[in-house]
Amino acid sequence: MAARVDLHLGVEGLYLTGRLTGWAIAVWQSESGKFMADRKTYLLRLVVAAALLSFLLLLVACSTDTPQNTFDAKGDVARTQRDIFNYALWPAVAILIIVEGLLVFALFRFRQKRGQGLPSQVHGNTRLEIAWTIAPAILLFVLTVPMIAAIVEVGRDPKPDALPVRVIGHQWFWEFQYTGPEFSDAQGKPLTIIGVGGAPAELHIPVGREIAVSLESADVIHSFWVPKLAGKLDAIPGEESRMWMNATEAGTYSGQCAEFCGLGHAEMRLTVVAESEEEFQAWAEGQLAAQAGSGEASLARQGE
Amino acid sequence: MARATLEQRQPTIVEALRRIRHGAGTYNGIWSWVATVDHKRIGVMYGLTAFAFFLMGGIEAMLLRLQLTTPNGDVLSASQYNQAFTMHGTTMIFLVVMPLSAAFFNLLIPLMIGARDVAFPRLNAFSYWVFLAGGLFMNFSFLTGGAPAAGWFGYANLTSSAFSPGHGVDYWLLGLQILGIASMASAFNFLVTILNMRAPGLSLFRMPLFVWMTLVTSFLIIFAFPVITVALFELMFDRLFGANFFNPIAGGTPLLWQQMFWLFAHPEVYILILPAMGIVSEILPTFSRKPLFGYPFVVFSGIAIGFMSWGVWAHHMYTTGLGSVANAAFGISTILISVPTGIKIFNWLGTLWGGAINLKTPLYFAVGFISMFIVGGLTGVMHSMVPSDYQQQDTYFVVAHLHQVLLGGSIFGLFAGIYYWFPKFTGRLLHEGWGKLHFWLMFIGFNVTFQPMMILGLLGMPRRIYTYPEGLGWDLWNMVATLGAFLIALSILIFMYNVVISLRRKERAGADPWDGRTLEWSIPSPPPAYNFAEIPTVQARDDFWHQKYAEDAQGRPLPILAGGALQREGELQGAVGGHRTIHMPSPSYFPLIAALGFPLIGFGLIYDPALVAVGALVLLVGLFAWALEPTAE
Repeated sequence: MAARVDLHLGVEGLYLTGRLTGWAIAVWQSESGKFMADRKTYLLRLVVAAALLSFLLLLVACSTDTPQNTFDAKGDVARTQRDIFNYALWPAVAILIIVEGLLVFALFRFRQKRGQGLPSQVHGNTRLEIAWTIAPAILLFVLTVPMIAAIVEVGRDPKPDALPVRVIGHQWFWEFQYTGPEFSDAQGKPLTIIGVGGAPAELHIPVGREIAVSLESADVIHSFWVPKLAGKLDAIPGEESRMWMNATEAGTYSGQCAEFCGLGHAEMRLTVVAESEEEFQAWAEGQLAAQAGSGEASLARQGE
Repeated sequence: MARATLEQRQPTIVEALRRIRHGAGTYNGIWSWVATVDHKRIGVMYGLTAFAFFLMGGIEAMLLRLQLTTPNGDVLSASQYNQAFTMHGTTMIFLVVMPLSAAFFNLLIPLMIGARDVAFPRLNAFSYWVFLAGGLFMNFSFLTGGAPAAGWFGYANLTSSAFSPGHGVDYWLLGLQILGIASMASAFNFLVTILNMRAPGLSLFRMPLFVWMTLVTSFLIIFAFPVITVALFELMFDRLFGANFFNPIAGGTPLLWQQMFWLFAHPEVYILILPAMGIVSEILPTFSRKPLFGYPFVVFSGIAIGFMSWGVWAHHMYTTGLGSVANAAFGISTILISVPTGIKIFNWLGTLWGGAINLKTPLYFAVGFISMFIVGGLTGVMHSMVPSDYQQQDTYFVVAHLHQVLLGGSIFGLFAGIYYWFPKFTGRLLHEGWGKLHFWLMFIGFNVTFQPMMILGLLGMPRRIYTYPEGLGWDLWNMVATLGAFLIALSILIFMYNVVISLRRKERAGADPWDGRTLEWSIPSPPPAYNFAEIPTVQARDDFWHQKYAEDAQGRPLPILAGGALQREGELQGAVGGHRTIHMPSPSYFPLIAALGFPLIGFGLIYDPALVAVGALVLLVGLFAWALEPTAE
């Protein structure tokens, strides 16, 4: 599945990079006087360049299973973020190829030749300066428009039917509390999931429904991150941060703390299990019953 | 007034100081370096010390890479890994790139502006000794059983006594304050030197680009370091005296640290890169054999970067929940800062374009700088896109980006400067063949190490994790990155070998081996202690070039055959016959003694308040003796 997304990306990008590479090679050849008006050679080079690039991208996509691949978005937030990344990526790749190409071209074309005197002493060109100030500014301005739209979309309040979940970061485990009234046990305590003994805490969520995450920290700063569902948000002690996310496909999604939080930072992992509404409700009822049981047991112990 | 009174009242003290000063002037060998106030010697000491720290930071980096080569690595423990990455970052920024830049300021600024020394030679020596003291102080923490392990960014409240027990963070925060003093002293010194000590005729818009970038960097240091100093002071009070600036339980705010830290640390990024940009702007014209393209635009874009660097700090904090409006505003300001950066790159291309390019090692590194900085700049624009940065923040994508800017950028630029100016200060050229091998190994090694990290970040690998399990798809690229790191390490060994064999070469480089354009090439290599036998009068930008080349009727340059300026300077140097006739600042031990006070105060704050008093006394004795030292005989 990771491969499919990346293939789509790859094809889109290859088209652009392939054209540009071919163009750059053609320019270089014509400038160095070796260019043949031979479409076959041009096409051959284009194909070779494209093959190389696609090989690289395929290597990324297919080499292994990648449970935290940010391209393989399975939630609307992650998808919006990936789309913005791609939106910025291809212009960046194009600029990269053009500018690096010009740099390499200049180094070959303007190498000092034997017996060559001093070149003409050009000091500058105001028109060019204005051009390469304004052109990037316009290009960058174009980038900001979808960026702001995406900021607003990702930063909006969750829908009214969203499932409220309180996420608490601890050194070095996660705690999830289902704060909706239907998830209270007999003592009025919310359904609480804590990662114990090296097993990462599992956050079960229903597919399709938005999750209203409220983030807190019990000690130092942590960062809640499930790459396939949503980018990260910091859990800061003394503050409450909010975000929404959802899963558009059932599955198990891995994540981990993304803000350095001390010795166990690397092991502060979590898992999100997205399942159908019915499966989720059944799981929640089971957990609540278990929690009530252990709650009564501990109450009973206190009463002794 | 005070001095006269003291001289009358305490003639013995003043006489003693006079004797010490006279003694310092007559020493040879190591003591002549200890007491030196010569900007060139201080520059060399800055460079050698920074390079030693570069090797330490490099070893730390290799340990990090070894640990991450395979999943579940067992080279380092979590604690050791955290110490290694904290000290790697702190070392490379504060003990390598900044002091290496300072080495170039010291070596070059007086020569480029036609001065005999900096404005405050003893303050300059003080800067160096304080830097050395601060660097050794911070690294001393390794010997006490625990180096700082809270990251070079030291986010509160992980740095509090509760979550970082032991003295590691104390060494870190005190060491950074000591280093800040060194940076501030040096920045004021170069600011005053550049504004006040330029040779006649060297107006601001005739200054070499490197001098301009030093000026901008000095301003940035002067405004940025007070911010981090305040933050470090608050942290110090939290840790040592039970204050609660960053303690959320007592109503403090951990985010306050991030605001202050990044308000310092983003200008700091430009403090790290602008000197390298200045170096590259000197090297490209020399080796293209034509002037810098669009000089005023390169200058103004540097100034613009300096100003704009103050309005982008919160792009390090997108994920802290600042809100959509703040994130959008900082996203736009961050995107905008790439405009002046782009102007520089285009003008460098314009400088190469149409030149007669002489492909020597300094140019290799300068072009390596440009090519890697383009990648760093573009990935920077991608980070500024707030929504996708929610994914990339604190991943290896950021690690790749920052190394593209600081290693592919700053360090390549600084190596370009080393290859370019080495003959000026040693009288010998570095070997070209070994130099090019160094370049290619480092360039390939760099790309093999850091470009896979972009992929790792996109595959969801966070930074600062000491281990990772199998099955996340990160194994291959981590292996590749470690292999690349070994290539970089090998290239550094080749560089060191090159320096050793080149210093032993018999043939001399001569005053002007590259057909240079700026004033430092008009005097012998290595320059005499007094630099210029006669302070030059500057007629134009790239003055030395215009002394060597006239223009024909079509405006084409023609060499002046008589040898021109060089010959004249040679005659002058001969006529002077030793520097005794030129007034030069006298050597002094007191900057070193004053500097020794700071680590003593630091140790005192950590272990025993009595030592604070001793340190303060040493500092005061040093400063008073320095102030009361009689002027040169």
